[in-house]
Amino acid sequence: MSRPRLALLLLLGLWLGTLIGAPLVGSQPISIASVLHGEPTASSIFWQIRLPRILLSLLGGAALAVSGVGFQTLFRNPLAEPYTLGVSSGAALGAVLALRFEGGQLLGLPLVGLASFAGALGVTALIVGLSLRRQGIETPALLLAGVAVSLSCSAIILFLQYLADSTQTFRMVRWMMGGLSVVGYREVLWLAPWVLGGSAALFALRWELNLLLTGEEMAASRGVDLARLRRRVLLATSLMIGALVAVAGPIGFVGLIVPHILRRAVGHDHLLLVPACVLGGGAFLTLCDAGRRTLLSPAELPVGILTALLGGPFFLWLLVLRKRD
Amino acid sequence: MSPPRALLQASGLVWRSGERTILGPLDLEVIPGECLAVVGPNGAGKTTLLRCLTGLLRPTRGEIAFAGRSLAGLSRREIARRIAYVPQIRPDHVPLAVEQIVLLGRYPHLSPLQIAPRAQDFAAVEEALRVVGIEDLRGRPVDELSGGERQAVYIAAALAQEAELLVLDEPTLHLDARHQHDLATLLRRLTASQDHTVVLATHDLNLASLLGDRLLALSRGRELATGTPAEILRPEVLERLFRARFEIVRSGERPVTVLDLGA
Repeated sequence: MSRPRLALLLLLGLWLGTLIGAPLVGSQPISIASVLHGEPTASSIFWQIRLPRILLSLLGGAALAVSGVGFQTLFRNPLAEPYTLGVSSGAALGAVLALRFEGGQLLGLPLVGLASFAGALGVTALIVGLSLRRQGIETPALLLAGVAVSLSCSAIILFLQYLADSTQTFRMVRWMMGGLSVVGYREVLWLAPWVLGGSAALFALRWELNLLLTGEEMAASRGVDLARLRRRVLLATSLMIGALVAVAGPIGFVGLIVPHILRRAVGHDHLLLVPACVLGGGAFLTLCDAGRRTLLSPAELPVGILTALLGGPFFLWLLVLRKRD
Repeated sequence: MSPPRALLQASGLVWRSGERTILGPLDLEVIPGECLAVVGPNGAGKTTLLRCLTGLLRPTRGEIAFAGRSLAGLSRREIARRIAYVPQIRPDHVPLAVEQIVLLGRYPHLSPLQIAPRAQDFAAVEEALRVVGIEDLRGRPVDELSGGERQAVYIAAALAQEAELLVLDEPTLHLDARHQHDLATLLRRLTASQDHTVVLATHDLNLASLLGDRLLALSRGRELATGTPAEILRPEVLERLFRARFEIVRSGERPVTVLDLGA
């Protein structure tokens, strides 16, 4: 078996391991035997409290890592991820607006979640509109528009925080730290179709994404409709990220860290890279979540802070590596 | 004898960038089995012409037809099944192996719902690797190869595309003498076989002379002259084309040009 395929198999093992192992650790460790024997407390912690959260982080990590790969290939830029393009900032702006105006529920769904979902999609539409040229969407314009819109969203968020009272401000800040705190199966059922659908869409585009690695002109001359490809990648990723941010807040850097590590293991071919990101991204976020639950136990650090703490040094490490190459 | 039907035909072709006319008006025909070499100085519009002929640029005015069908009415995939293009500009870093890149040439033949390439796709890849003579390189990352080997890989990918027309932009640019020789030998084999119809742009007049059945001299986006290498590679034509003086010597049938730097 080739090295990349072996790596993919190991990732599947890691994914299954975290799915079964992660619900067992936490402030109160439980054993798999007690869960299997149906011991009431252990079963309830396993099935009702921890498993939905693990499933959510497996799905969320997959969404972040797959979107990261999509953006990095689309923009031919190793630093592109949902945050660079402002998709997450748009989602955050939506949520902060809803918190500022004390949003309740709409159609049984929390307004904060819906507003952040709408924010993610709105920002995507805006930056695509801003970068539309006669010959289609231009990649450099799209990246610039993303950065500009992202900065504007952050400025408006700061302005709203300044206007808000201290309780609202606290909620906004807490929301923006990103977390998987209060989670049940409802959130898992909400997120699953978006993430599975989005990942399947990017997997289906693997030939086009591979062709993009050889350059836009080469891809177009091989028969790729670049404008349509960009629209599809942006739509799939923003739906995934919007749906995730709606339930978990913004979680940074996973979309940057995981694809970079996985390219070293399975290579750049999207045939293997996209499935690897589904497995590896999920396992990574779940391990981060398990780590933060045990590190400072019983205090629970929001997972968004932990991934951001890991992200900064990782950026620097990438820079040093590139310098050495 | 009636003239042979053109494989590719452009009429009244014009491409403008803003107010500036980069190309045209220009009429052009490519006959099946021939090699048409487009020559001219930097900025003459050679690349723009090739990008129009491959459907990558939409002409501002004029019409391009492939085997009688308008290019504007064909999808990108339909064009790619007919015309294979090896562009001049490529990313510095392409993180794929030789075989993967050649297999990507099969993209226009894959149906959107197909899970994996079929046996005929792999057969086309094998054939392309064999024709270009890079079977030994198949597993190598393309980034590790020399400039000449890389160019051969992209030509193999274009051959795997099994298109009727092969379009090459400056195939020997930035190559040293040995790699130029190897690549010219490969291209000569392709063009001599008559199986391939080739359009190539180059500012290397000797490559054009070696490979071209016909030469199109392009100056400021317009046709200065068209003809056989012997008709085009004459001091008076070249002086008008490049604003430089040339001496012509003969190597067998083909004229060879040498820059005349004066006494």
